[in-house]
Amino acid sequence: MSKKILAISSPGGHWIQLNKICDGLQQHQSHKIIYAVPAVRFKSKADKKHYNIIDVSADNKWKLLPCALQIFYILLKERPDTIISTGAAPGVLAMFLAKVLRINTIWVDSIANVKQISRSGRMIKKHVNVFLTQWQDLEDDIAQHQGAIL
Amino acid sequence: MIFVAVGTQFPFDRLIKNIDQWLKTHPNETAFAQIAEADYQPKRMQWEQFMDVETYQQKIAQASVIVSHAGMGNIITACEQQIPIIVMNRQYQLGEHRNDHQADGLKWMSKLTGVYAAPSSKELFHYLAQYQSLERPQFSKNNRRDSLINFIETQL
Repeated sequence: MSKKILAISSPGGHWIQLNKICDGLQQHQSHKIIYAVPAVRFKSKADKKHYNIIDVSADNKWKLLPCALQIFYILLKERPDTIISTGAAPGVLAMFLAKVLRINTIWVDSIANVKQISRSGRMIKKHVNVFLTQWQDLEDDIAQHQGAIL
Repeated sequence: MIFVAVGTQFPFDRLIKNIDQWLKTHPNETAFAQIAEADYQPKRMQWEQFMDVETYQQKIAQASVIVSHAGMGNIITACEQQIPIIVMNRQYQLGEHRNDHQADGLKWMSKLTGVYAAPSSKELFHYLAQYQSLERPQFSKNNRRDSLINFIETQL
């Protein structure tokens, strides 16, 4: 069934992985996917609905609140069925808010985190509906391995 | 053309200086570098701090080899475009990243065909010396990605 999805992540590697996943989903079926990512200067000209959010990491906590407010606004306005994130801090914020708003959440931990689940992943792990790791040997009670982007 | 890219988050002067140094002894080679907000400006190659996605893809398509920080984006792109890639990790101890996850990344990245790990300038120069005979990545629409996407589809 066609769904409305919010795809949210940090820029760089997280963002590229997220796009690979969303492009893959679009090939199956035409979902309505809305994107939220910081740093619009790297934005593709491709026609995707896109919100520019404040660039946050867990290292600069003073930006977390304004970013959370931006995401809260996006969630209320767009009312997605599902949120997908590959990390890091923006995904954590979105999924905490999604829990309050009872929105389905899917976390795909970054393939770069090979020895242990990412810091952001560990923070949000118990609060998401589906938690995926891209490494078989990082599976546990919550984290499941169903494949990887490479 | 050798395409050098350090990602968008931080500069990586050590890598850029190494390439500059290598070009000094290989004057017939050309390189192009994406350097982020770096203090050090390359002397022997053209450069940009950042590029839009389309320009970036154009540069990649012209490259015989990519030299990159150990970031996911460039690894994925190199694998999909089947262009050999040499990766050097940022080191936490040198203040190049906020932790040492790029060193961990190197361990699994180098298991992929066509991805060459250079933990130091020694390996970097070793691979650059033979860049025209490096193996290409073997990426084709692989099963691992298909199974991940198929599973996510069932959870939407």
